[in-house]
Amino acid sequence: MKRRALITTSLVVAGLIWTGTVGAMYQAVRRFETTPGRGASGTTMWPVRSRIVPERNRWTLVMLIHPHCSCTRASLQELERIIEMSGPSLQTYVLVYRPSDFQEGWEKTETFEAAKRLQRAHVLVDPDGREARLFGGFTSGQTFLYDGEGALRFAGGVTSLRGHAGVNRGSMDVVDIVRARARQGTHPVFGCAIVTTESEQRQ
Amino acid sequence: MSEIVTERDSVIDARAAAIRDEQLHARRVRVDRMFVWLFLLQYAAGIVGALTVSPYAWEGKVHTIHLHVWVAVIGGAGIIILPILLAIFRPGTTLTRHVIAASQMLSSALLIHLTGGRIETHFHVFGSLAFLAFYLDWKALITATVVVAGDHFLRGIFWPESVYGVANPEWWRFLEHAGWVAFEDVFLIWACVMGRREIAESASRQAQVEHLSELEQLKSAALEMAMSELQVASA
Repeated sequence: MKRRALITTSLVVAGLIWTGTVGAMYQAVRRFETTPGRGASGTTMWPVRSRIVPERNRWTLVMLIHPHCSCTRASLQELERIIEMSGPSLQTYVLVYRPSDFQEGWEKTETFEAAKRLQRAHVLVDPDGREARLFGGFTSGQTFLYDGEGALRFAGGVTSLRGHAGVNRGSMDVVDIVRARARQGTHPVFGCAIVTTESEQRQ
Repeated sequence: MSEIVTERDSVIDARAAAIRDEQLHARRVRVDRMFVWLFLLQYAAGIVGALTVSPYAWEGKVHTIHLHVWVAVIGGAGIIILPILLAIFRPGTTLTRHVIAASQMLSSALLIHLTGGRIETHFHVFGSLAFLAFYLDWKALITATVVVAGDHFLRGIFWPESVYGVANPEWWRFLEHAGWVAFEDVFLIWACVMGRREIAESASRQAQVEHLSELEQLKSAALEMAMSELQVASA
């Protein structure tokens, strides 16, 4: 009799845990996936102090990435699609964050390799996120699109959620702008922070 | 005479039903046990996957344990605790089957999330439905389908990008996704009904054989008694 009561109580408790966990998990995951990173506060023109020299009369896309951010793989998948759909008029730069006091090679992750595999894309290491600051980006996956005159036409992310590749407004906007079907665009960016408030203050 | 036949048939039918229920129960207990192992395997796979794909969340050069790892460890345990306890302490019951069906679909949703919504992980849903069909209980498949449809419906309302990739999908899009599950369900439900029918036929044959065997035993006992009486009389 005692054992039976114990089993029933255990099952009721497990039932409550089951219901609670499912609800809490949905809530936690939803909050995580839908909360964007800090948006860019960039200038409207190409930053002249950047070590990247864009070609005139060509579109230039810059994506900032944190090499250890797992969500950034989705941004790179989207970037691959953007490059394919935009054609050779688009030149692409992927800037890979690396703290200068960390040993060399820290940035060589699977995400880094995925960036290197992108066609027609230049991958550059960005020590301490200096370039990221010049462009005004803070979050991994942040994408900037400049026209041939150096004017900023798109600033934002190219995924719909954290770590979710697939059709989304951001990547569609980039392609539409390059194909002259849209003028400007912006979209929330989802990913790990590259430039934090603390590091910003130190600079 | 016809009353005797009817009574005999009802005895055989009752025995056939008892054998069928016994066989179904034994089968369902076995499937419950299989799911215990499957849940543990999926739990371990979820944790290994989270640790491999996204162990840390980063802020500049500072890292913390990624939410996916906590979700895999705590959320994964929360999902499987009830079905495992039910499978151990209430094996073969209807409640256990339905909780297992719902939990298996939630495990699919968790694995899909941990792999960043990979289309390949969605195959887990279809594999799971096939496993659930081992119960030969089509109602468990309906529970699983309702959980999948409910998950898509609710996420479609509150969190549409996570399912459809776009923020404003048509309201009926969840039906398209659930439709593919229903497509598989049709064949699995048919397989469940056929499987149950085969078990019922086999049970009926066994009951008839048992009845005939009992009759034979009664006959041979009567014959033995008659023989022994004859021997006593002749002596």
